[in-house]
Formats: sequence, structure tokens, C-alpha cells
Amino acid sequence: MTRTASLSSRSVPMSGARTQLESAPVRRLLIAVALIFLGLFLLLPLGMVFASAFRLGVGAYLDAFRDPDTLSAIRLTLLTAAIAVPLNMIFGIAASWAITKFQFIGKGLLITLIDLPFSVSPVVAGLVYVLIFGLQGFLGPWLADHDIKIIFAAPGIVLATIFVTFPFVARELIPLMQSQGNDEEEAALTLGASGWQTFLRVTLPNIKGGLLYGVILCNARAMGEFGAVSVVSGHIRGLTNTMPLHIEILYNEYQYVAAFAVASLLALLALVTLAARSLVEWKSKQRLAGVRLNHGEALEV
Amino acid sequence: MSIEARNITKKFGEFTALKDVDLEVRAGELVALLGPSGSGKTTLLRIIAGLEFPDAGYVLFDGKDISDRSARERNVGFVFQHYALFRHMTVFENIAFGLRVRPRNLRPSHEQIRARIQALLRLVQLEDHAARYPSQLSGGQRQRVALARALAVEPKIMLLDEPFGSLDAKVRIELRRWLRRLHDEIHITSVFVTHDQEEALEVSDRVVVMNEGRIEQVGSPEEVYHKPASAFVYDFLGKVNLFRGRIEGERPGVGASASSLSSDSKQSIVYVRPHSLAIDREPQAGPHYRATIQHINLAGPLAKIEAIAEWGDPVHVEISQERFQELQLKKGDEVFLRPRDIKVFRPDDRG
Repeated sequence: MTRTASLSSRSVPMSGARTQLESAPVRRLLIAVALIFLGLFLLLPLGMVFASAFRLGVGAYLDAFRDPDTLSAIRLTLLTAAIAVPLNMIFGIAASWAITKFQFIGKGLLITLIDLPFSVSPVVAGLVYVLIFGLQGFLGPWLADHDIKIIFAAPGIVLATIFVTFPFVARELIPLMQSQGNDEEEAALTLGASGWQTFLRVTLPNIKGGLLYGVILCNARAMGEFGAVSVVSGHIRGLTNTMPLHIEILYNEYQYVAAFAVASLLALLALVTLAARSLVEWKSKQRLAGVRLNHGEALEV
Repeated sequence: MSIEARNITKKFGEFTALKDVDLEVRAGELVALLGPSGSGKTTLLRIIAGLEFPDAGYVLFDGKDISDRSARERNVGFVFQHYALFRHMTVFENIAFGLRVRPRNLRPSHEQIRARIQALLRLVQLEDHAARYPSQLSGGQRQRVALARALAVEPKIMLLDEPFGSLDAKVRIELRRWLRRLHDEIHITSVFVTHDQEEALEVSDRVVVMNEGRIEQVGSPEEVYHKPASAFVYDFLGKVNLFRGRIEGERPGVGASASSLSSDSKQSIVYVRPHSLAIDREPQAGPHYRATIQHINLAGPLAKIEAIAEWGDPVHVEISQERFQELQLKKGDEVFLRPRDIKVFRPDDRG
């Protein structure tokens, strides 16, 4: 017993030592391939978006946003995101809370269903809404009788967007909450906190990093969604066009500068998303570093 | 406040964690729930706390049925195995949590909270650490913060789940002695769960030995150690040698000395603690049997010897270092083992 123990403790630093697996040329080659690929398929197109947008100068770029149809598309996109993102945030928190904190029948099914929008093509998602709310659809006649317009109107766009962006927050939170477990909530409970107090004071602060990132991703997708929205929108200019749909129309009409100007806004959103993600990661790394910094004194009893 | 658990049964799916368990804890007592993992001790503790609800049975505090109350309403201090400190709060805020979440009319003023936390920090000897985060503390410090946090709401009962389980050996011993002193100061009814028999025997007023969802024995540490009610208790509370079915027969072995052995002794199991066996070079009067020394470990206060009995089973013996020097034992020596104190259980005693 004692012998194996001393042996295993000696083997720890050995296994901890890094061994150089690849030779220097191979390493350089691998890094070069990764960078070239990244540049070719990600940075170059992104750069092209901005280059094309500013091809005719800042004036032409700004002119693109004077077009009332463009402004209306931006407004509709913002409205859609403003509705879809909070709803999915609430749903995402509720679903991950239920999945990680309780045992119930149908939990496996719920986890699978949350992923459904990822596995279904957005076009199919759009078509489903047309089949339900469209004029020939399941609820169509009733809606028509009551003069409620969903398909080819803003409500349909919002619904399709909610469907498509459904998983983002939950997917971000479930693994996080699983790793954190239930202990802190139970501790809060025994200390006399109500469910709501426990959520606000214990759960929410613990998940806020993951929640923020999930919301950012959800928002990026909500603003950028094309397929599902395209099916339910009807492409009515100035009314039911979102930014991605409007970009397509402008492009098809050879208004390149305008198309890329609007596209640059969406691309900017992607950059903001990346920056936010880096910020979240950097913050959590800093917290870890803080822990390590204090490790020395933490050893005392 | 006294605790009473009556006819508690709890199942998790197919697994029965507790089978019709009755437990009584007197006011002001420090009781240990001792048992191997899966014996139901933590489940029982969580049921008392209201973190788990039994399928059948009642929990009474001071004779009052509180089975329907949630953990929030039971006013019980609970210390979790892995501390469960709020990781985003400082030590101060952790301890203050229970006071801050009170309804406004019951909430102490800021000054009162501050004074109370300061007193608690002094009690757990962490005055200088109020502004730290849990991740900046050692295991022992975290455990003391968890304790202070639980005490802050002035609970009538303290429940501790493996309070020293995740600490290293030295800290564990220091902290459990400190806990005992603390209990002697504040006399709060306390129940703690442990799988470490030494811890249970050293710290508690009474020990509740649990096995497979049942209580095997309740008694003072002396009682359960010296008068174990079942083979399981004897086995669990220390190192032990088991001799099965070889008791009487043709050899004047261990069995001959045991007056309690009756005709069915062949099915009995004889238990002998390693320190209850003597080693002799020459056969002495009374029962004894032959063995060959196989391994000797001299590290520690006692000489620990592993021998192979004449029927082939390994036997553990512990003798004093002086006696060992006297005998000049070596590996491979033929010796005689003489049991001084044995315990006999029939197999059906074993739960």
C-alpha cells in the first residue's frame, strides 16, 4: 500500500512534464494552414463586406440608410429581436432550471426537443408556420375571419425567429448549471431564502456569464436569420422585410453599395458578438487567475 | 430542540434508502450518524432538514410534527459536504445571506448584521478573511465559513453532512476537536453524518450506526465500541479478524474459550480485534493456534503483524513495540496466537 502510494505520487510530475510531440517545421505548417484557412474563408469575406460597402465613399454608404425601405427593414429586425430574444431568454432559463434542478418524466424528451430547431432546416421551420397560420393552413380560415394577420406580416416573422433561436440560451446554460449543481440553492433554502430570492441572489449571479453569451448568440441569430423568415415574410418592401431579406433584394437589384452597407451592419453585429465572447472568457479566466494567485496562502488552515 | 424521526421510509426509484427508521435526538446533544456509503445516513439527515421528503413517516421537532414544512421554514442550520458557499459572494456576504433574505420587518439593521457577522467571524477565527471569496480560502476555512453561515440565522438545530469529509487528515482532526469544543459552548442540538468511525467515536455524545437503510445500533461511543449489537457494528467500528465455521471441530481453537458457543457454533462467526490477540513463541495454557508470520509493519505506535493461520487465512495482530522487541519476530517465524477477547455472532445477526 505505502509503496504504491509513493510511486504514484512520484509519477505525477513526470506525467505533468510536456513532451514536444511534433518537430518545428510540422508545427509551423499546421499553424500556417490554420491561419490561411481562417483568412481565406473568414477574414477575407468579412473584409470584402466592408470594402464593398465603402467602395463609393462614406457618403454613398450613409446614403444607403436614407432609404425608407432600408430603415423599415432595420426597424423590423430590431423589433423582432426585441421580442424573440427576451422570450427565449426566459424560456432558456426556465428550461435549463427545470432540466438541471429537478427530476421529472419526459426530461430526456425536453432536452431533445430543445435541440430540434438546430436539426431542422430553417426553411422547414418557416413552412410549418405557413401550414399552421397560412390562408390554406390549419388555423388560417379562423384567423382570416377574425382579421388577424400572421403570415406575411410581422407576427409570423417574430414566431419563425423565436423558433429558430429557441435553443441558444438553454444550450449555453444547461451544461453550466449542471456543473454547478444544486448545493448553493439548497443552502440558500435552508437559510430561509424564498425561491425567487434564491434565483435572484444565488442562481442568476452564478450563470450570468453564460446567460450573457447565450443572449448575444441568440440576438445575432435573431437579427441574421434568413431562411425561416424568408418563407413567412412575403417580402413586402417597407413592411415585412427584415435586414437579411432586404439585403438580398438590394443585391438582386444591383444596388451593391446599399446591399453591402446593410450587410456591414449585420457583420458588425458578428464582431460585437465575438468581442463579447472574448470579454466573457477573459473575465472568467481572470477570476481563475485570481484563485491561483491566492493558492499559496490558501494552503494555510 | 429535540428531533424525532418516526417510521421513515424513503425510496429513490428501485433503491430503498431508508427502511422504517426511527431516530431520537435529545435537545443539546451531538449525535453522529455513522455508516458506509449507501447506508442512508445522508438521506436521513436531508429528510430532517426538509431537503428531502420521506415516502412514509414523520419528523418531529420538540414533539411537534413538522413533516409538511419546507427546508425554508424549519429553521435548521445545514452544513453541506462540499460547503456550498455562494461563490460570487465574499465571506462576509455569505454569512450575512440568511439575515439579508429575511422579510423586512424581521430583518436586523445594517449595524446589527455587521455586529453579528463580526461575532461569528471571531467564533470561527476568520476575522481577517471577511473580504475574501470562497475560492481564496482553504478547505478548512471554507468549512468554518459554512458553519458560521449556518449559525448566523440562529437555528435551533445544526445538521452537518460529512463536515470533514473533503479535508486532509490533519486539518480534519483539528477541526473536529474544534467543533466539539464549539458544541460544548453553544449546546445546539446537532447531528452530523460521517463514514469515519474514529470521527464519530471521538466527537459525538451518541453514535447511530446505520447499514443498508436501517439503524443497527444507537449508543454512546463506549457502548457501540465495547458492546456492539451486531456483527456489522463490530466490523465497522474497527479492524477485525473473522473466523468462520472453524471454531470447534477437532482443533482446540478460538472456540474453546468462548463459553457462549453452543451446539450451533459451527455456523457462528468469531470476531477478534487485532489488538486482542497475543503472540507467543511457545504454546501457553488456554486456547491458541499456530500461525506463520508473513509481514511486519513497525511504522506507528503498534507493531502490525500479518500472519497466516494454520488453516490458511490471514490474521492481523497488533502488539506493542516492546513486546515485539522481546519476541524478536522475523518474517517466516512460527508462532502461537492467543485470543484474549472474542465476540461471537451467528450469521443471522448480520442484518
